[in-house]
Amino acid sequence: MAYAAPIVETQDANAPVTSRTGLARFMRRICAEMGAQRYMLVQPSVERGPKSVSIITSNWVFDALEDLGSEGIARIIESGVAVSAGARARPLLAASATFLTAEERRALRDHGHIETHCRRLVADGVNVYALFSSETPGAISGAALSRAHMKCGYALVQFFAATGGRASADPLSERERECLMWVSEGKTTDEVALILGVSSNTVNSYIAHAIQKFRASNRAMAIATAIRSGII
Amino acid sequence: MLSLVSSSQPSATSNDEGEARSLIDAVSMCRNIAGRIGAESFSLFFTAVHGEARRLVPVFDETFPGVSPVTRRLSGPDTTDFVRLVSTTTCPLWWRGNGAPTFLDAQARVWTREVAPSLTKQSGIAFPVANDRRRLGAIIFTGNEMKLDEELLCDTHAECFDLFAQVAKLREQECNAQRPMSKRELECLRLTANGLTSDEIATALGLSVHTANQYLTNSTQKLNAMNRIHAVAKALRSGMIA
Repeated sequence: MAYAAPIVETQDANAPVTSRTGLARFMRRICAEMGAQRYMLVQPSVERGPKSVSIITSNWVFDALEDLGSEGIARIIESGVAVSAGARARPLLAASATFLTAEERRALRDHGHIETHCRRLVADGVNVYALFSSETPGAISGAALSRAHMKCGYALVQFFAATGGRASADPLSERERECLMWVSEGKTTDEVALILGVSSNTVNSYIAHAIQKFRASNRAMAIATAIRSGII
Repeated sequence: MLSLVSSSQPSATSNDEGEARSLIDAVSMCRNIAGRIGAESFSLFFTAVHGEARRLVPVFDETFPGVSPVTRRLSGPDTTDFVRLVSTTTCPLWWRGNGAPTFLDAQARVWTREVAPSLTKQSGIAFPVANDRRRLGAIIFTGNEMKLDEELLCDTHAECFDLFAQVAKLREQECNAQRPMSKRELECLRLTANGLTSDEIATALGLSVHTANQYLTNSTQKLNAMNRIHAVAKALRSGMIA
């Protein structure tokens, strides 16, 4: 079965990435360069609660997305297999991903994601993960992958700048963010109230709102969510 | 791993791994990168954040252990706008020296941003970098003989990330000779970050509530934190838990 048949790109490769189609075209090009068939750019979605993601662009087949679901994808990007820029490639093999359920592993394999590289990108302060998969283990070239990693970051900066959307990066108000930031620095409610010049009740209400927005169960979890998503 | 004697023995694989064991290694790795892009000088900085203000704090340059005039100029007080830019963007920034030619090819220029040339006499390129622990910095190369195409730009930036992560790690090892965290303590912190209460942690790990609390108290002390939430934040930011 031919997965992504080589697409003849008529568009100028030098053009900046300013639209969704431009981003998809760019992703197809770098996939071809490194020998990957499937790509996904995805971010953890703090708005929709823990274990949920929002996909920026992807050429995964519908069934693969359905089978893994938001939770399965969230588990992949949070599992610690994600590699940062400049670090050595560490592929995730569908067969041995113990943090996934047996069914999720089977889904990955059946849909041709035998080997998946998960890369952690930062695009102007926003955390995004790039997944590149191949149906043949070892087919993805390490040097090309490392370059693609950098280019994805650059392309996302252009994409976010042109579309004005940093997607769902930060659902908090400035005050809520400030409160969480001080709490994460070890300050008590009373201390935060003093720092911000508001009453303790107000601080507690800001924090309660933040907890609600993150669908967290308590302060510690809200702080953790905010740090993980790069908000504070 | 933490033994002090073993580190003095150079292992045969250390160079293949490209691992910096000291700042001197890091400087020579940076010199190699500079050589590949034809740069004359280089400087590595941490970005210090004081409220809204940002400043580049020099770590080393090609005159290590000295400080070059270029480094001094870049970390000086009149580069605020540049520092703000370099600490908020992911794209490399570049500028041309007096009468110097464009040193990036057309495709590399698509991904980068040209800034005002007032920073250094010579042409320069700044690669914004960060590590997993959200520590920010920049590696800046200058010289009028540089030459970069898209491939070399990406490779160099990736190498800069790797080098910066290693330098940041070296710095951290120097700074905190703290007591190591036990596996159980980290586990309790991780579960706290996931929103579990002490009761729930105790159940999950098969401990008594008192033991779970004791682990959390210990880890809070070891991390030099004010309270549990502070400890969770510190552990996340330093990458002890994910």
